[in-house]
Amino acid sequence: MKAIIHILEHDFRNFFRYKWWLVGLISMNLADLFIMAIVYNRMLNPDVTNTIGGYFQFFAPGLTVTGLFASAFMIGREINMERRREVHHYMLSLPMTRFELAMGRVLSGGLRGMLYMSPLLATCLILLPNVPTIEQFLLILAVLFLLATGISGLSIAIAVSTSSLEKFITARGLVYYTLFFCSSVFYPLYLIQSLASSGFPTVLITLAEINPLSNASDMIRSFLLGYPSFSPTMVFNVVVFSVIFTLSAAFAYMKIIERK
Amino acid sequence: MAPIIRITDLTKKFGNVTAVDHLNLEVEEGEILGLLGPNGAGKTTTILMLATVIRPTDGTATVGEYDIRKNPEKVRGLLGIAFQEPKMLWVSTPWDIVNWHAKVCGLSTEERKRRVKEVLESLEMWEARHRNVHALSGGMRKRVEMAKVLIQRPKIAIVDEPTAQIDIVGKHRIWNMLTELRDEGSTIILATNELYEADVLSDRVGIIHRGKMLVCDTPKKLKDSILGGDIIDIQLEEAASPDIFQELKKFKDVVDVLQLKPFNLRIYLNKVEEVIPKIVNMLTKKDSPIVSLRMTEPSLDDVFVHYTGLTIEEAQKSGE
Repeated sequence: MKAIIHILEHDFRNFFRYKWWLVGLISMNLADLFIMAIVYNRMLNPDVTNTIGGYFQFFAPGLTVTGLFASAFMIGREINMERRREVHHYMLSLPMTRFELAMGRVLSGGLRGMLYMSPLLATCLILLPNVPTIEQFLLILAVLFLLATGISGLSIAIAVSTSSLEKFITARGLVYYTLFFCSSVFYPLYLIQSLASSGFPTVLITLAEINPLSNASDMIRSFLLGYPSFSPTMVFNVVVFSVIFTLSAAFAYMKIIERK
Repeated sequence: MAPIIRITDLTKKFGNVTAVDHLNLEVEEGEILGLLGPNGAGKTTTILMLATVIRPTDGTATVGEYDIRKNPEKVRGLLGIAFQEPKMLWVSTPWDIVNWHAKVCGLSTEERKRRVKEVLESLEMWEARHRNVHALSGGMRKRVEMAKVLIQRPKIAIVDEPTAQIDIVGKHRIWNMLTELRDEGSTIILATNELYEADVLSDRVGIIHRGKMLVCDTPKKLKDSILGGDIIDIQLEEAASPDIFQELKKFKDVVDVLQLKPFNLRIYLNKVEEVIPKIVNMLTKKDSPIVSLRMTEPSLDDVFVHYTGLTIEEAQKSGE
């Protein structure tokens, strides 16, 4: 446990070295939210606007989740950099188990994501119409934390499996675009599902349905906006994602990196 | 006493390249063992395997009483490493790096603060402790890397080319610190391609070439192992008689005697310090006074050439 805390300290210190950059990013996220809300509100079909109650309200939870995603993914970039500069040799030589090291890195990525996301979530809590109950609020935090650790694990697994920055950035771009755009972050899931009748690939619709970003965004919406209705599947999908990628990160750290 | 490190048939292959080839070695507790070899000889790979950073392809090693394959966590608890290339992110500061390292190694807060200050001051890094690593020179980064081991004071310290890029004053300071570390009870493995460094610091030197351990012994025994490696140049008052030639050749450790000039002799021999009084006695008895006498011992450079057939520079080029 002590070793995990040391790793958390290490990674949080690195995170805060870029504090002004982070402040800038959060400000840009909030600006995006307001600008996109104004622009998209006027572009949307009035039927859709009536259903979702305005694009600002709809997009705020989505942006919170994408902010969480981007910040939790940063740990992968750092680990990839460590690997390219062979700093990982030092990390692997420290007096701790590989499991502690891997868990420390996954958790720190997740917690850093939570920290980054907190002003965005606060904006949702302040500006969206419904006030969640304590249980709902705790569930939101728990699901977002699980999502953040899953993302952190995914980024670590990619970071230790890719030898160059180019490969890491390509893989990151692929993951970003797939998970961001095949999700209900930017557009309601029912609209994506309705595209099936016009020949939209079913696989992309299924991906949007099981995508943890869709599930986390929709869960926040269900508690703060009242739609879509909450389903335990939302939590289940995020848990599965988190478990798979936390274990992948642990496996990658424990096996792949040591072999090279 | 059982050796603190026992390496048995340790092998590492990267694809078709064998970086370390069935290496066998024992390291005694409390000694400084120099691993001498050119870049690419397999020193760093051996160290990384000992530190359980990379897995051996074959063979194993026991560190303390722990096998590097079976108990890697226990092994890591005994070791401290100063890597060849400083392992740090460029946004970090020397203070953060060494302070965090000391925490991870379990030093108490009080001890940590004291030792961090002490070591950074002694390495002349105290003033620069809050500067980002990217603003430090190569030598300063290297000192930060060394500081980790000096603060940790591990049971077994592994230092990989500790004085590369460091000026001569800094080199001497680090050599003194390593000697102190050994005197306080640490066993030290010193990987280096600097012959002088290996010679002055090491209790024993192992010569590694192309992944193989060619020989391992004390610097003195290694030098003595070169037959006729010691040289004595003697200048006499008078030309040396044939009788003196015969007498000189009779000494057991004399390999050859040459007359360079009528008054000048060159003797190739072993164990110069044991034979020289006997030679002086013989010349005195033969009433052949000595004007001057100069002794030359072989260096580790000569030892390296003797065992590899190459100078260390040639070996370095052939390994690149």
